[in-house]
Amino acid sequence: MSEFNFDIEEANTLWKRWSLNAKKYTNREAIIHWVADGEPHRWTFGDLLNSAKKYSVHIKEAGIEPGNVCAIVMRHNPNFYPIYLGISRTAALPACLAYPNPRLHPDKFRQGIEGMSQRSGLDYILTERELEPLIRPLIEKPGSTIKDILFPLEWETQSEVDPKVDEKIEAIAESVKDTDPFLLQHSSGTTGLQKPVVLSHAAVLNHVKYYGKSIGFKETDKVVSWLPLYHDMGLIGAYHIPLACGIPSVQIDPFQWVLAPVIQLEAITKEKGTLLWLPNFAYNIYAEKIDAEELEGVDLSSVRRVINASEPIRHDSHQKFADRFVKFGFNPLALTGMYGMAETTLACCQTEDGKPISEVAADRNELSNGKFKFAEADAVVRICVSSGVLIDECKMKIVGENRNEIADGLVGEVAVHSISMFDGYRNYPEKTAEVFAGGWFYTGDYGFKHNNEFYIIGRKKDIIIVAGKNIYPEDIENVVNHVEGIVPGRVIAFGEDDEAMGTEQVAVVAETKTESEEEKKNTRMAILRAGMSIDVNIHKVYLVPSRWLIKSSAGKPSRKANKERLISGNDPQVWSK
Amino acid sequence: MISQELKTVILKQLNLDDFDLQGETIAPQVPGWDSLNHINIILAVEQKFGIKFKSRELLQLKCVGDLQKLVDSKLGK
Repeated sequence: MSEFNFDIEEANTLWKRWSLNAKKYTNREAIIHWVADGEPHRWTFGDLLNSAKKYSVHIKEAGIEPGNVCAIVMRHNPNFYPIYLGISRTAALPACLAYPNPRLHPDKFRQGIEGMSQRSGLDYILTERELEPLIRPLIEKPGSTIKDILFPLEWETQSEVDPKVDEKIEAIAESVKDTDPFLLQHSSGTTGLQKPVVLSHAAVLNHVKYYGKSIGFKETDKVVSWLPLYHDMGLIGAYHIPLACGIPSVQIDPFQWVLAPVIQLEAITKEKGTLLWLPNFAYNIYAEKIDAEELEGVDLSSVRRVINASEPIRHDSHQKFADRFVKFGFNPLALTGMYGMAETTLACCQTEDGKPISEVAADRNELSNGKFKFAEADAVVRICVSSGVLIDECKMKIVGENRNEIADGLVGEVAVHSISMFDGYRNYPEKTAEVFAGGWFYTGDYGFKHNNEFYIIGRKKDIIIVAGKNIYPEDIENVVNHVEGIVPGRVIAFGEDDEAMGTEQVAVVAETKTESEEEKKNTRMAILRAGMSIDVNIHKVYLVPSRWLIKSSAGKPSRKANKERLISGNDPQVWSK
Repeated sequence: MISQELKTVILKQLNLDDFDLQGETIAPQVPGWDSLNHINIILAVEQKFGIKFKSRELLQLKCVGDLQKLVDSKLGK
């Protein structure tokens, strides 16, 4: 196809779309399940659907009903994909959750699942046998919503499906309407504050149509991704969109990628990948952390778009990446940016194809005062990188404190209205009411509009984004508050810029009565361990004496004011490491 | 057995005064040793010992002892 043409009327649910693709492109590759140390498993659209049908029989036999939420907690495995599709065939909702990192304390993992279960109403957990001792006690707890734990990797899928059973399940799939819920994803957060977002088939299919048009999907495209599938950019961008469009995606194990990032470049070279989504820090890693010898044979000439999203886009990161990879065939015009969120399925705006991403040199002080102004010769400059123009059927406006739209060039909160909008947080009406009014979703992000493009420059809330992962400071403060030697309630966590890594890092400030160097070192170690227990790496600890922290008008220590005080001042009372 | 040299370079990179790094210690047990820092640690070890690791070799590392063995093999020990 020369121009992207995605007809929702042909198939109004995801299962129907996948079935259609299996008929149209039976032998075309759908998913190339990449492994660094062996041959990839290559799923064709036909094989993937057949396997999904087999899993759907087991899913139905396990008692899963339409509308049930099925959490999948699994490591990189080629059977993940047919299991996911099989859940959807039975009209249940797949929900990908992160497999626990060994760093995460088992109690915290359990609390996270329990919190999600109470909030999201998880009905089943499909996982690996290894996690049974961790998860089983949750099911047996009084009042648990979790009905059972299942181990789909142990299911027998060699024999053919009984046609009568198959027919019954297909009838369920046929009865699903486009407005019915399709999947559940968690918007952000660490352990306790995740917000469950349910998306309908219509929301996702419309997103495939309009975002697909925006990035100009072609039949010759191939996505190459290491993004985890519990993250909206990985799940929607790199998995659902190509699968629905009938183009292949290469799925790399995120755990392997962090150990050897070069494997994505090797996969692009071997598979002639064309599209990738990356969080900003990955550009820095590619530009500066991979030995030249490792890049021998890398060829990025097939790449037509690298889409930077999920943390603020940095000018320097793009520059370094382009400088290093031009000689490997990379076209700098392929550097693009996107802005979006789980609540709008994924994207709201995207920079345009074939032209350099827009950047403006803004006066940093004016920006702090809420206004974009081009920097003059003596000004402190902040280069702001555009997140692009609106995709079709999506509206965005910048609003002031009273939620009224403000003029172009003024900094305010970003509000979004999209055809692919969620219907509210599941079982969380008070949170929904906070952020959703009159069809507009108030994102909590700050930005401005200039020349019809949107520039995202900060956040209303104090969320910290480390390597694309959203972390709530409250989660960190809660665990650090229990550390011995800390004045309870006198702790703040915030994000500190790490220019070298192209991301933010977590810093903690805590009031303490400890005085000796030795005690302070021990307190710092205890704070680092508290962070580890919720799988958060605390990069820097500031210890301050009692009553040092500035309080906000609400009487709590102010993150913003104290961060500014620490960064600007050189207070001898502050101990840091 | 982890050599003092390897231990020093790892702890310096992690900004830790001391930590009992044993052969069987895994990264998630060590404060600060996350995926972002892992890359920096590997680069610091390469620089300290004047060696280069291949990605395939890094994927095989399960614990600090494996890293020590890899360093030793590169140094011909």
